[in-house]
Amino acid sequence: MDATVKSHFIPHEPKAPAKSFVLWRPTAKTGLWSWLTTVDHKRIGFLYGAFALFFFLVGGFEALLIRLQLMVPNNTLLTAQQYNTMFTMHGTTMIFLAVMPLGAAFFNFVMPLQIGARDVAFPRLNAFSLWTFVAGAIIINIGWFLKDGAPDGGWFGYAPLTTKQFIPRHSIDFWVMGLQLLGVASIAAALNFIVTIINLRAPGMTMMRLPVFTWMTLVTSFLIILSFPAITIALVELMMDRQFGTNFFEVSNGGMPILWQHLFWVFGHPEVYILILPAMGIVSEILPTFSRKPLFGYPIVVFSGACIGFLGFAVWSHHMFTTGMGTVATAAFSLATMAIAVPTGVKIFNWIGTIWGGHLQMRTPMMFALGFIWMFMIGGFSGIMHSAAPADAQQQDSYFVVAHFHYVLIGGSIFALLGGIQYWFPLIFGRRVSEFWGKLSFWVIFIGFNTTFFPMHFLGLNGMPRRTFTYDGNMGWNTANFIATIGALILGVGIAIYFTAMIYTYYKGEKVGRDPWGGRTLEWSIPNPPPEYNFTVIPTVHARDAFWYEKHHQDEIAKEKAAHAKDDEAHGGIHMPFSSVYPLLTSVGIVIGAWAVSGMNSNPAPGIHAKLAVALVGGAIMFVGIYLWSLEGAEGYHLHLGADGKPIEHDEPAGHH
Amino acid sequence: MSDVTTATAHAPGHSVEESKFWIYVQIAMLLAVITGAEIVAIGLPFIKWSLVTALVILSTVKFMFVIFFFMHLRWDKVFCTILFFIGMVLAGGTMWALLQLFGSEASKPLSAASTTDAPSAFVTELS
Amino acid sequence: MSSHAAAATIDHHHDPTTSTGIPNKKLLMWAFLASDCMFFGTLISTHLIYRLHPPAGNPSPRDVFDVPLTSFSTFILLMSSLMMALAVNAIQKGNLKSMRFSLLTTAFFGAIFLGCQVFEFNNFVFEKHMTITGSILGTTFFTLTGTHGTHVAIGVLWLCLMYVRSFKSAEPQPGDHPWLGNILHAVALIAMILLGMKLVLSFVWGFQEHGFTGGTFGAVAGAQWAVIAGLLVCFGALRWFAGQSGPVQFDQHNAIDVETMGLYWHFVDIVWIVIFTAVYLLEYL
Repeated sequence: MDATVKSHFIPHEPKAPAKSFVLWRPTAKTGLWSWLTTVDHKRIGFLYGAFALFFFLVGGFEALLIRLQLMVPNNTLLTAQQYNTMFTMHGTTMIFLAVMPLGAAFFNFVMPLQIGARDVAFPRLNAFSLWTFVAGAIIINIGWFLKDGAPDGGWFGYAPLTTKQFIPRHSIDFWVMGLQLLGVASIAAALNFIVTIINLRAPGMTMMRLPVFTWMTLVTSFLIILSFPAITIALVELMMDRQFGTNFFEVSNGGMPILWQHLFWVFGHPEVYILILPAMGIVSEILPTFSRKPLFGYPIVVFSGACIGFLGFAVWSHHMFTTGMGTVATAAFSLATMAIAVPTGVKIFNWIGTIWGGHLQMRTPMMFALGFIWMFMIGGFSGIMHSAAPADAQQQDSYFVVAHFHYVLIGGSIFALLGGIQYWFPLIFGRRVSEFWGKLSFWVIFIGFNTTFFPMHFLGLNGMPRRTFTYDGNMGWNTANFIATIGALILGVGIAIYFTAMIYTYYKGEKVGRDPWGGRTLEWSIPNPPPEYNFTVIPTVHARDAFWYEKHHQDEIAKEKAAHAKDDEAHGGIHMPFSSVYPLLTSVGIVIGAWAVSGMNSNPAPGIHAKLAVALVGGAIMFVGIYLWSLEGAEGYHLHLGADGKPIEHDEPAGHH
Repeated sequence: MSDVTTATAHAPGHSVEESKFWIYVQIAMLLAVITGAEIVAIGLPFIKWSLVTALVILSTVKFMFVIFFFMHLRWDKVFCTILFFIGMVLAGGTMWALLQLFGSEASKPLSAASTTDAPSAFVTELS
Repeated sequence: MSSHAAAATIDHHHDPTTSTGIPNKKLLMWAFLASDCMFFGTLISTHLIYRLHPPAGNPSPRDVFDVPLTSFSTFILLMSSLMMALAVNAIQKGNLKSMRFSLLTTAFFGAIFLGCQVFEFNNFVFEKHMTITGSILGTTFFTLTGTHGTHVAIGVLWLCLMYVRSFKSAEPQPGDHPWLGNILHAVALIAMILLGMKLVLSFVWGFQEHGFTGGTFGAVAGAQWAVIAGLLVCFGALRWFAGQSGPVQFDQHNAIDVETMGLYWHFVDIVWIVIFTAVYLLEYL
């Protein structure tokens, strides 16, 4: 890839465009407006992370309410309806508004740096993904403030419960529409990441020299673009049943509610791999750094990740073993599910191989990564137990499942994401969380988490069903539930310590210089916090663990960089994209339209007319946003670096040379 | 710059570009003919399965011509083909699996009569 | 401006600034189409699943479908794909006039396809009494073909906007409001397509109801005088805009945008190939 040649695929204007009313480009660098119009992947990543952490707390609060309700038998803290809302929103929030955007935060911030790029392939599309995610978060949660309430049909929204006949309230419409928006945001972001990773790698960065986190970003992005369409269709069908009276899930007219389950889980199963693969990528970065060793078996770790992704499309009906699919189908999915444990196990062995014989530095990120391996393994064991369909006949819909997925999602995803935050905090903010508070938070979280969820294995095997707001005192479930709630409170304390430490560090934490951990990958080669343009000079990659190579071949690299810097200057400097307001405007139009469709009533008056009018207004704003977005063009400006390394901005828009 | 840029006649790629025009037209004619053949085929007195196979094959041929020629995959980097085929194969595989699932004996909906008094029908089936 | 001298030797298949040589927009569109395969795959699956065990009272497709009409619209869509490929070919060689003609023809054929669908839906609902809510066949059929039709409509809109974009002036004069002209141009083109569809459908329905006579022709024309007037106005506007001379900001460098749009359009065509076979033809076996 020749970065100094100007691409003839970006049409360029023959002269600078006149400053026009609608097509001006925002130039502010600080302040609220600069954040709303940013196209910088680092800022977008930060915003994803901030929203994700906020919703993580919201979801955690919902979980505490659930656990408090279940602390003792026949409790009256929550009504049955309120309880339904709690577990629905806890699941939906944690999956779609916490774990996925936290993953997106890292994809955005870290991945372009790891491949030696200045930004993603389509910066404005990236901003659009962020704001549409916010729009989806708004629609899903808006029910809290309205009479019809927040979604209450389960995070998986099974028909016919979610049809108009059984839940006529808007709560389900908010769920349907909100998820659609989140789907659009996720697909757009994933498409962007795929093009970025495939096409914007620094010279010498072959696919097999990519950091594993970047590989997992790529596989996750493929999973997103291939699995979300299934839930898009399922949600369209449900929405059409609810809004227009179609018969997709209407039994009396030939509909089959089981179709919802199939379509949902065709999406839902790859979704859980979307949740875990980024975490595995993070762990694959942390372990080598703190073992002072390269990742053991890199090619096989990458290949296993791809296998897990691919096989993940073949197992969805293991969520439906008890629905009477027939012997052949049940056996087929059971076998496929067992098969998928193999590449996962391979990865675990490779991680152990990485640590083995290493000079271990037990810093906070390392604690979370090691905790991941162990906790994820436990979750994997209960998963394998589920894969045997006869055993699953007892476990389905019981607390055994709850234990399983919390071990893989908290013990797996969350541990890795929390570790990733600790790991990359110095890069993003130039400060490092104190070892004491970091490790304390880890241990409290670890103890709280295990106290909460380990007893649930026994609760499940002893028959306690899921999603039931209370239980009788003579079922033998009292002690385990009580312990689990105490555990949840401890976990809450642990999270509070973690968050307090993080926020304190942001403002007053220990400042650290570049590369505080002795990293191996390119994101550590730049100043922290990184400058807007990321790299002074796009690096040339000579080996896997590119930064490690740079650190050990400093003369060679210095000469290379000097030569490239000269080239860049000769070609007009560093090309940066302009900010833009149109991604935000488009998302605003979308949220207005989504509100109309999901929140407004077709009758009574003003009814359908008002609904249609607002929807059209939203659609028109969205259309104008897209139209002006395309009209303003993919222009940018040039930066030149002065002798002190600080940028001198160039007035002319790129394309004028 | 005038609105019609004259491509230099001696540019090496020029003759290749010129001939693509006729490739496109010929393929369009072929697609039309195949569509006609499909419509004729459904009236022919052959056994159903052979006709289904023939229709599927003819549609696949049309499909492949459009993606490899009109959509240019034949002349583009092979990664584009791989990328699209991943989606296409996955979609086809999922469709096949869903049809197998819903086509199986276990997935046949209960008859209308037994759905109205479902509980007793279920009990009857168990005993 | 060295870049203009390079225009004649652009390699439209290779972008040296990317790691693979594939232009970013092209890669994005192919990835999106892979995703869209799953989208239509699940929707077509829904329809086919519900054809496995149709409930009592479900209309029979053979009684409802009109294969000659659908074959005609299939043929039209295939021809639109040809015109789209020719449009891309033209702009890659810098032939703006040929590209504009091909884009318009593509949009025109796309509009004919949509018109056929409107006619077909109308026929199913009012004559054959199959509605989207009345039966499972109605639900799955209208949702599937309606979603495909929406994709076609988006494509037609995109084609119109691309056509208008090819007139963007290269040297805007101070005091000009080029964006206003662009909007009016786009409105004229889209209005012409919609009005044209309405007029043709009116004639077709008129002939269907009252026979193919001169009297009917006159009656319909009379009733649709506003539409005809609007069409003439739009047509005049389009001729006026097309007649504008002066350099435009649209050349071989924009070919990637036309090609990307073309990929979308061809995909919509191949989805129809699958739908035509799986939804229509297979019912007749």
